[in-house]
Amino acid sequence: MRKYFLSAPLIIFFCMMIVFYYFLIIKRDPSELPSVLINQKAPMFETTTLFDNKPFVFEEESGQQVLVVNFFATWCIPCREEHPYISKLSKEKNIAVIGVNYKDDSRKAIQWLNELGNPYSKVVVDSNGRIGLDWGVYGLPETFIVNENNIILHKQVGPITNEKYDDFIMHIENSIK
Amino acid sequence: MIQKNLLFNKIFFLFLMITLAGATVSNISYAVEPEEFLKDPKQELRARDISKNVRCLVCQNQSIDESSAPLAKDLRMTIRNKITEGLTDKEIYKFLTDRYGDFILLNPPLKSSTMILWTLPFVLFFIALFVLYQHNKNSKLR
Repeated sequence: MRKYFLSAPLIIFFCMMIVFYYFLIIKRDPSELPSVLINQKAPMFETTTLFDNKPFVFEEESGQQVLVVNFFATWCIPCREEHPYISKLSKEKNIAVIGVNYKDDSRKAIQWLNELGNPYSKVVVDSNGRIGLDWGVYGLPETFIVNENNIILHKQVGPITNEKYDDFIMHIENSIK
Repeated sequence: MIQKNLLFNKIFFLFLMITLAGATVSNISYAVEPEEFLKDPKQELRARDISKNVRCLVCQNQSIDESSAPLAKDLRMTIRNKITEGLTDKEIYKFLTDRYGDFILLNPPLKSSTMILWTLPFVLFFIALFVLYQHNKNSKLR
């Protein structure tokens, strides 16, 4: 019995090794944080649209259909990488994608969209990052799926690229059901 | 020769201690910019205290008080705005955790989900004590 107790530190040490090894081998991005907004009501906001500077109220857009909200900026290089996939998504799925231009120069953003094409049903401006703060945004691009009851069902941090695309589409399809 | 070595050791030890003490004291690499300061020094001090407990989500192991990332600056400004609006510290922490989760706090709160985190060190400490005690008893018997 005594001998068994003496080996306790060794056993604990090996248990810890196994735990650490597990976290080492699973595919996990430490910069990806769990969002507290999942299954919560989407934060409401009012702002202006990028192209015609008209007032925009999020509440009027949401609540009738499944929406994709994509935070992007011209200074964000992964956003450029993501752009073709956002275009593909809005075309293929015929879904409303709202682009939030986060802490950006509006002129540059317009130029960027004219050059690459505008996949968004509406592009709105978040010049000082207030909307982003309410939505818990910390690293661009970030994309949210909001269902017709205004609940955030999924959040993707980082670009939706080839390997993430199918997964994201699956989340949209699950939201529509 | 031995004497000389000892003296050298002592000097080296003293030097090391001074360096370490200096490093601890002078480790004040604040990123707060002058234009961010609040006029009321009391409020500014509160803002700094809160900032020290809030994680910068971009750099993760720095507080927003130390980080010069744009998001950290936004969060510092938000905290200062909330203070001037008259919110309490508790309300400000709640505002932050509602949006970014407990992860934004550098000190994890004591909750049922973090119970293991908080109690495990004590449990391990007592296990270690017990093992040590058993070991000592065994050696004395021999």
